[in-house]
Amino acid sequence: MAIAGAGQLNLNESPCWGSRSVDCFEKLEQIGEGTYGQVYMAREIKTGEIVALKKIRMDNEREGFPITAIREIKILKKLHHENVIKLKEIVTSPGPEKDEQGRPDGNKYKGGIYMVFEYMDHDLTGLADRPGMRFSVPQIKCYMRQLLTGLHYCHVNQVLHRDIKGSNLLIDNEGNLKLADFGLARSFSNDHNANLTNRVITLWYRPPELLLGATKYGPAVDMWSVGCIFAELLHGKPIFPGKDEPEQLNKIFELCGAPDEVNWPGVSKIPWYNNFKPTRPMKRRLREVFRHFDRHALELLERMLTLDPSQRICAKDALDAEYFWTDPLPCDPKSLPKYESSHEFQTKKKRQQQRQHEENAKRQKLQHPQPHARLPPIQQSGQTHAQMRPGPNPPLHGSQPPVATAPGHHYGKPRGPAGGPGRYPANGTSGGYNHPNRGGQGGGGGYSSGPYPPQGRGPPYGSSGMAGAGPRGGGGSGYGVGAPNYSQGGPYGSSGAGRGSNMMGGNRNQQYGWQQ
Amino acid sequence: MAANFWTSSHFEQLLDPEEVDVVHQLDKDKGLTLEEFKLIKMHMTNCILKLAQSVKVRQRVVATAVTYMRRVYTRKSMSEYDPRLIAPTCLYLASKVEESTVQARLLVFYIKKLNSDEKYRYEIKEILEMEMKILEALNYYLVVFHPYRTLAQLLQDAGINDMNMTQLSWGLVNDTYKMDLILVHPPYLIALACMYIASVHREKDITAWFEELRVDMNVVKNISMEILDFYENYKISDERINAAFSKLDFKP
Repeated sequence: MAIAGAGQLNLNESPCWGSRSVDCFEKLEQIGEGTYGQVYMAREIKTGEIVALKKIRMDNEREGFPITAIREIKILKKLHHENVIKLKEIVTSPGPEKDEQGRPDGNKYKGGIYMVFEYMDHDLTGLADRPGMRFSVPQIKCYMRQLLTGLHYCHVNQVLHRDIKGSNLLIDNEGNLKLADFGLARSFSNDHNANLTNRVITLWYRPPELLLGATKYGPAVDMWSVGCIFAELLHGKPIFPGKDEPEQLNKIFELCGAPDEVNWPGVSKIPWYNNFKPTRPMKRRLREVFRHFDRHALELLERMLTLDPSQRICAKDALDAEYFWTDPLPCDPKSLPKYESSHEFQTKKKRQQQRQHEENAKRQKLQHPQPHARLPPIQQSGQTHAQMRPGPNPPLHGSQPPVATAPGHHYGKPRGPAGGPGRYPANGTSGGYNHPNRGGQGGGGGYSSGPYPPQGRGPPYGSSGMAGAGPRGGGGSGYGVGAPNYSQGGPYGSSGAGRGSNMMGGNRNQQYGWQQ
Repeated sequence: MAANFWTSSHFEQLLDPEEVDVVHQLDKDKGLTLEEFKLIKMHMTNCILKLAQSVKVRQRVVATAVTYMRRVYTRKSMSEYDPRLIAPTCLYLASKVEESTVQARLLVFYIKKLNSDEKYRYEIKEILEMEMKILEALNYYLVVFHPYRTLAQLLQDAGINDMNMTQLSWGLVNDTYKMDLILVHPPYLIALACMYIASVHREKDITAWFEELRVDMNVVKNISMEILDFYENYKISDERINAAFSKLDFKP
């Protein structure tokens, strides 16, 4: 047996049974933070290989090994695909307890369990939010194709991811995109008509059927999220930033039209349809609102953001869409530029300092920090890739299409414009896209057209109960350090978590509470 | 469980009977025989079943829990991993894995209700600690395939729809968990063996259907023989169980 006895560390190379000690790795720096654990970048001492260590903390855990971790391990152990994050192994830490002789007390688990993942440099949201970052069209196609390929693999293996969003899509410097954070994922079977919880998927990416209370659903739920991400990549910011479930549905209806028995047979039988059905007729405006998108992109988006899940395009068909087979073609991942690592946590301190700096400047000059908006993709296919490092500001201002001048895209937490004040016009007044719902939400928080736009998407500085760190606040770079206890949350609708949060949001959000 | 059995860790981990029927050295030192080793596993399977009925979880959870327990004892000794703690903990873990979570305190409540013997009465803390050890002993491979779904499909395919046959073969599958078959044979072969026994027992001739399957009938028949052997020798008595446990409990 390869398990080390009490007081010994298990440093064997690969024991047949039992797990190695975390001491086989040297922690380099923290790249993610959560209430229940941290994610570290680490180096395996023996091989020098860089990995990500996701800690599963065991104290505070009344129900033993967290079920979210069980789900994730169970599923990751059977998925092996180049577009799915690889769980390399699980290691344990001997913990701080010592016996009388000063040796560890032999309980290997007090210190925690770590999941060892391959290291990825970025997540999609982090990358997209880099100041001055612009994805090229072949780049977007490349990411979308990888996302769909990975998701297709999951669906073929009967796994629903149930938390597809930018921060769970990890990207390495070879341009590879991998699905991560399977903490909400679960297996499904076509023949088994099991009831599943509808309290999954981060609010902004949650499909209408879940919002309407459906408990029988399938891979189409993930495809809706993919549609949201696709639109976000093209549009430059999230398209459905709802603050709670009713508002989320409303935003969806405003863009996609209201569901009825004609466009979605059977919708009236979904549990909460009658509570949420709109009082006034609403037409589908997707084509109109996104008319500036490329024709094939719009066509694909139409089929992803289809209200009726049974008519929504599946991953396989999406991969066959014209969009991926017309010029400009998706580029080779390897041809993509390499970016300096962008993990939210790493840049957090920098941002904080920056914010401090800006607030000082504000006091002095009465000048407000300007949020930066994400830039829409570069349309010319021939153009080379976007700026590669956040160096001196590129002269993007002049070439910036008017579309992206609406208030910036942030995580609902104060984040200074890394490029310094004055790079972009602050107010979305120079035309371009106006969210159909903007201004109509009274008290929705977040967006305002006043002279001083709040920073980012969240409620301005703690205005709504939870310190809304936004749905992506999830610490951390998609390795998913979410709180394990989500299943004990309150009933639907009273989850009380910050806007855009999924059911784990409450806990995930807390991790940033201190920033307020 | 979804995905493909043939690419699963379950398939990779199938063992030879010789590897399963090994009494750990520590237990051997205490005088535990192979017969007693099997007997304790069988007894604990019954305990898991009773506990599962109290907390009302599906048969599938029971099957997974028993598989975990049997896998643990291919690697660990009963002296170090007390079966009376391993069994409920495996049920606890399996309930999470199979998405039918049972609270630890509920489990402990029923353990106390069902067992007057102090030696069975473990506390929440001990179950939670053991859960970690089991996870490690299982090397975090948690997905287990069972014969049930295959059985349903096979019965349908063979055109059997009388409840008698269905129930008998289903019950036979349940009973196979009292042995180590699930560690040794792929689930579909276990399902076929149970169907075979049921068909012979109910005098229902489905030989033609079996012949059309591309399955080595010798293997199926061998598994059937194992099952029938088991029924013949299936004698579990409190005395024998107590004798076996007293060997394990002996502290030199």
